Amino acid sequence: MPVEVVTGNHAAGHALSVAAEANRDARGAACGIYPITPQTEIVEYVAKYPFTKCRVVPVESEHSAMGVSIGASLAGARAFTASSSNGLAYMVENIMVAGFYRLPIVMAAVNRTLGPPWNIWADHGDTLMLRDFPWIQFYCESNQEIMDTTLLAFRIAEDHRILLPALVALDAFILSHTQGETDLADQGQADRYLPHLDLPHRMRHDDPKTLGGLMWPDVAASLRLEIDEAMLRVPAVFEEARAEFVEVFGRDPGGALQTLGTEDAETILVAIGSIATTTHEVVQARRAAGEKVGLIKLKMFRPFPEEAFRDACRTASRVGVLDRNYAAGMGGVFWQDIRAAFQSTRNDLLIQDYLTGLCGGDVTPAMIDEVLSDLMARERAERPVWMGIAA
Amino acid sequence: MVEIRIHGRGGQGGVTLAKIIATSRFLLGQSVQAFGLYAAERSGAPIQAFCRYDDDPIANRNLIYSPDHIIVLDPTLVGPAITGGLKPGGWILINTTKAPQEMAEQFPDNPIATVDATAIARANKLGTRSVPIVNTALAGASARMLGFELSEIHDALEHLGFVGPNIVAASQAHEALRLPEAVEDEAAEVPVVEGVLAEETAEAAGAVETPAPYTVVPRGPSFLEGAGGDLPGIETGQWATEQPHRQQYVPPCNHVCPAGNDVQGFLHALAHDDPDRALEILLESSPFPAVCGRVCPAPCMASCNRIDLDGAVNVRQLERYAGDNGNASLTPMEPRDERVGVVGSGPAGLTAAYHLARYGYRVTVYESTADLGGLLRSGIPRFRLPEDVLDEEIGRILSLGVEVETEHPIDRRELMDMAGRHDAVLVATGLQELRGLRLGIGDTPAVDQGIDFLDLARRGQVRVDGEDVVVVGGGNTAMDAARSSLRLGANSVRVVYRRTRDEMPAIAEEIDEALEEGVQLDYLTQPITLQPNGSTAQESSDPGDGGYRLTGRRMELGEPVEAGRRRPVEIPGSDFELTCSRLILALGQSPDLSVFPEGTEVREGDELLGLLETPVFAIGDLATNDGTVAGAIGSGRRSALHIHGALSGERTETTEHATARRDVDVWHDEVIRSDAMRLHLFERQAGQEGTSLPMATRQSTFDEIHMGLTDPSEAKRCLSCGVCNECDLCVTYCPEGVLKRVGHRLEFDYAYCKGCGICVTECPRNVIFMSHL
Amino acid sequence: MTTETATRTPPSPGALGEVPSIPCTEECLLRPGNTNCGGCGMSVGLTMLGRALEEAGEACTLAIPACCGAVTAGAFPTTSYGAPVVNTTFASAAAVASGLACVRDLNEERGQVICWAGDGGTYDIGIATLSAAAERNDNILYICYDNEIYGNTGGQRSSATPPGARTSTTPSGKTEDKKDMMSIMVAHGIPYTATLSIAHPVDFRRKLETAFTITGTRFLLMHSPCPTGWKSEPSDSVELVRIAVSSGLFPLYEVWNGKTYRLNTLPDWTDPAEYFKRQRRFKDYEIDLDATTRVCRERFERLAVLAERFPHDG
Repeated sequence: MPVEVVTGNHAAGHALSVAAEANRDARGAACGIYPITPQTEIVEYVAKYPFTKCRVVPVESEHSAMGVSIGASLAGARAFTASSSNGLAYMVENIMVAGFYRLPIVMAAVNRTLGPPWNIWADHGDTLMLRDFPWIQFYCESNQEIMDTTLLAFRIAEDHRILLPALVALDAFILSHTQGETDLADQGQADRYLPHLDLPHRMRHDDPKTLGGLMWPDVAASLRLEIDEAMLRVPAVFEEARAEFVEVFGRDPGGALQTLGTEDAETILVAIGSIATTTHEVVQARRAAGEKVGLIKLKMFRPFPEEAFRDACRTASRVGVLDRNYAAGMGGVFWQDIRAAFQSTRNDLLIQDYLTGLCGGDVTPAMIDEVLSDLMARERAERPVWMGIAA
Repeated sequence: MVEIRIHGRGGQGGVTLAKIIATSRFLLGQSVQAFGLYAAERSGAPIQAFCRYDDDPIANRNLIYSPDHIIVLDPTLVGPAITGGLKPGGWILINTTKAPQEMAEQFPDNPIATVDATAIARANKLGTRSVPIVNTALAGASARMLGFELSEIHDALEHLGFVGPNIVAASQAHEALRLPEAVEDEAAEVPVVEGVLAEETAEAAGAVETPAPYTVVPRGPSFLEGAGGDLPGIETGQWATEQPHRQQYVPPCNHVCPAGNDVQGFLHALAHDDPDRALEILLESSPFPAVCGRVCPAPCMASCNRIDLDGAVNVRQLERYAGDNGNASLTPMEPRDERVGVVGSGPAGLTAAYHLARYGYRVTVYESTADLGGLLRSGIPRFRLPEDVLDEEIGRILSLGVEVETEHPIDRRELMDMAGRHDAVLVATGLQELRGLRLGIGDTPAVDQGIDFLDLARRGQVRVDGEDVVVVGGGNTAMDAARSSLRLGANSVRVVYRRTRDEMPAIAEEIDEALEEGVQLDYLTQPITLQPNGSTAQESSDPGDGGYRLTGRRMELGEPVEAGRRRPVEIPGSDFELTCSRLILALGQSPDLSVFPEGTEVREGDELLGLLETPVFAIGDLATNDGTVAGAIGSGRRSALHIHGALSGERTETTEHATARRDVDVWHDEVIRSDAMRLHLFERQAGQEGTSLPMATRQSTFDEIHMGLTDPSEAKRCLSCGVCNECDLCVTYCPEGVLKRVGHRLEFDYAYCKGCGICVTECPRNVIFMSHL
Repeated sequence: MTTETATRTPPSPGALGEVPSIPCTEECLLRPGNTNCGGCGMSVGLTMLGRALEEAGEACTLAIPACCGAVTAGAFPTTSYGAPVVNTTFASAAAVASGLACVRDLNEERGQVICWAGDGGTYDIGIATLSAAAERNDNILYICYDNEIYGNTGGQRSSATPPGARTSTTPSGKTEDKKDMMSIMVAHGIPYTATLSIAHPVDFRRKLETAFTITGTRFLLMHSPCPTGWKSEPSDSVELVRIAVSSGLFPLYEVWNGKTYRLNTLPDWTDPAEYFKRQRRFKDYEIDLDATTRVCRERFERLAVLAERFPHDG
């Protein structure tokens, strides 16, 4: 398929659709869909797609959208959906269920500020609300990355070593509604890349097991332990899936952690989602000017690539985290996890949080420059800095 | 610290018991904890609850692993598992009817106290019948075990709002608590056992408290690896406090059937549209289903429990249906050498011959007339009992190899000879002596005996064209004579009877039909004299021009006598006259004993040994004076069984009724009455009568007036009182699906039956009952 | 009142041979060893459902929201269900069932996808999901066993709780009427809507068989006695439903496409006093029996009018 100029939503919708279609010779695909700005275009794309064997069920709520997808997945179909913000909040109960039932559902999640107030712009608070559920989380910075990561997500989620749902996040409007050139996967590529789904625990009439019944503490805890083990296997499976992606599509969908200049950087910025693009530009310019700065773009947030992260920071003495979210009473969510990653291993490392672009604020290169200036001047880390708002 | 573990079942109030005990300590200023181990258990499932109390603040949020004492709310939970971790010397308080000594062997290391808290809870109406709430009773009992004052438990109950019956239950259980003998002897008031009971010792026990363990268990099963779907393996039967069992009663129809028919049994077969099987069941007792299905007064119908719902099941017509439509082959047993002679071929004699032939005896029937059947043939008109029906049933008897000697009357001398030639002789000559009436008139052709009249009518040797016929009597012969007269051209037919309709021995339906056909009935009327019209001569027997004049006298009913019938009493001055051209007497018959040695008294089944060398029996009406075909059949059958028993030495079934015994746990000999049935579970449904000849045709023909039922669906109305008819409602309604029918047998899976009792309340015929465990 | 259109279903004791009698086995829908309370109406319903499925040669998959039926399964890896079951979130039974059903249909497979839900999951928290599935006419069989209470949580009021019933959240008796769930579902115009009585097993089975043969959303409402919550004798469970039907409290009827009606029984207007007396949940509350009967008669009359005016043929 030629490279086209499409929105991030279009890329997500297309990726979900070709993935669904790729299971047509197996048990097909199905999804529950429900509109919410700025995700709506994704499910509209899916609803219009000329599937061979996929049922799109337009439901009455996000809760039921995930409900239908759970049912479809349990029946052995490739299942997916999309949502955003309060829609995710409404869906939370079933999001959790999909994870604990080990259903490889893929969800495109458009990051939008949780309301109230009425605010439809980018903020990662919605998907980060789900960070403790058994879901793999990917954050994208371009339409191409949305396209590629979605396919990658199916491939990883459905791997029998993993069997966990995956969420592909894209920033509201900055990605969802921004047209850009995107190499849209054609069906043949998707077919080659995605094996037929074979859910080992799908519901069969000859297998009268009850999912979700009572579990005693040890049995229930064992299930959690199983999830932990599967999560820990994700990075390796990711790399396999990435390599095969390169083989089929001829391009690299990127690693779980993408870096710039970390080989010698003394100061590193951590960026997630579309902020990474802006930050990349700033860091590149600074490096061109001879400054030892670097960038870590966190593509995969769950499972958290702790080892890789520590490795990328080995030369650094300062890390600035650009959090487009706010956890009340604490600060940025990414910052918390990054601090934890260095707990007891790098007591010398200064890790400062910068709350940037919250609730859809535009993150400009100048803001990143400001962050860098602040960071490089710091003697010690303090409470998160609210960028762009007077204290 | 004192720690108590409570073992109970969901719904018994175990957690609340922990709370009551804790509250009693709390009110005394101690630090307490009470909690349950919550899961998904439901009413009846085993549960655990815990209670701790201490003078110092409790710093422990674990389950209790090493309790000081144990309380068991349900005796079915008692087993080695419950004492896990129990400290030596710690008390076990058990809710049971047993004495402590009876359980001592099971728990040698611990003193045991018992109390029947279930009975106390039930008596105080705490909880439901199947799940009594025993906690407040056990709280009272525990006071003695734990060394509390009863008042402290009362205070706790009141504090928690448990009043009335709960307080009473606590007091009663406190009083009723049974302690080991040693303790009771020493100090029943304050039962203190060394090392345990007093508070100080309880505290001492707490001092050696075992800390909660750290355990590592293997990884749980994974559904990703195919785990799941195993059977629950929880024997919920252990929750039950009651269990269902099967029982059977005697249905009233079977009980009253003079022939000993398994009425319920053959109706069951017909209900399943199996006339062959129905006939087979009937032929077990009677060779005359088609006959009885036409002429039996059917006491079964009078006793039918369905009367209390919507009318009796039409058993008579159904028996006829089976007789007319069933096919059953008879297989006699091995032939035997013994010979049995039967005198008389009425229903009693033929029935006896039939059964004896089936047992393999060589049977000869001696009949004085040319035709077999006795009164069945001569005394019942064809419109009620066609001869071909009778012939067919007699043919079935003869097909068993019964030999017949007709026109062979037996007198006293020959009876003695027969006794020498046979191993047994049955005399079934019926009622040959006809009762007469003194009417102040000599021998006259105008007066007939009903029996003779009916026999003449059968042979076509009498007409009564234009005559005014008066029949005297209230039995079936009277009705038959009256109805035959109508068919033989009578101008009018009048039946006079000295009591009322209620006392008439005739089958009610036959009376109805006689009335429908035009017979007039004069109740409370006694004929006094018969005189030729126009003549006053007392002894004249010549008919006058206008025939005869019958003087009747009105009667009224006086006091009841003998079998409860009220004696008719003449009303003085009530005489009146009737015109009649023919008087038919149907006043009943009595036995003719002239065949027996003089002075013989006859009782059914009596062996006249001592008089004769071989057993001679008088059977049927001759012995019983019963007068019904069914009674004669029953007598014939019983006699045959008796003789078979005597000759073969084999045990024979001698019960009056022939209800097939189901595979049940308890067999009741009592008859089940309608109040023990659950009639409201049945749909009301009108009974079926079958079709009849139109009235216009009836009066001119001796054709059978009833055509019978066109199908056996009437049998589905049988309630099958007290006998499982495999309706399987119990199976249908059993919530657990653990009630199964295996063949004809109902099986309860007690391993899983929770004892809810739905099978009992939903059984319409009361064949399941519950027992306390 | 018009009664011609009503056909009286025999309660079957007199009707020999019409009652299913399939022995319960390990492969039954509700297996022995389940931990439901003794005398549980839901258990009776599940057993009857299992037999109806077996008689019809139908397999099934159950989607069960939070309710007693979810707990019925028991502790993993064991299960008291002889069919595959997924426990759904409280509000999601119909949605999950829709997902299961659409994949079944995509793959042209047989077997019923059945939601087995209590009144809380149906009348209350799950009503939006159910309504949406019905509006889409998703190919699911939804059976609500209505015990008029949140039984699984220990007996709290639901919108199915009848007036006068004491629950732990209506300690002096509920004052509001019971929600008319049947009318709500009928208003969706789904192909089949019917009430089920465990005291009428022949009718029960016939309705299930009817439902099995229909494509689209089918809604069955089963009156489900709860001895624990109703504070009644476990042995009375079936009898209570029988009285509810005969007194007109729980009319048995069917509606096709929200348009055509059929009444299955004519109440004989048994005095409902016995129904209330045998349940201690109604103790201490003055039930106006005359008013109750009046309300029942009016409701029945409305149904009878509809059944006469819009009878179901065939």
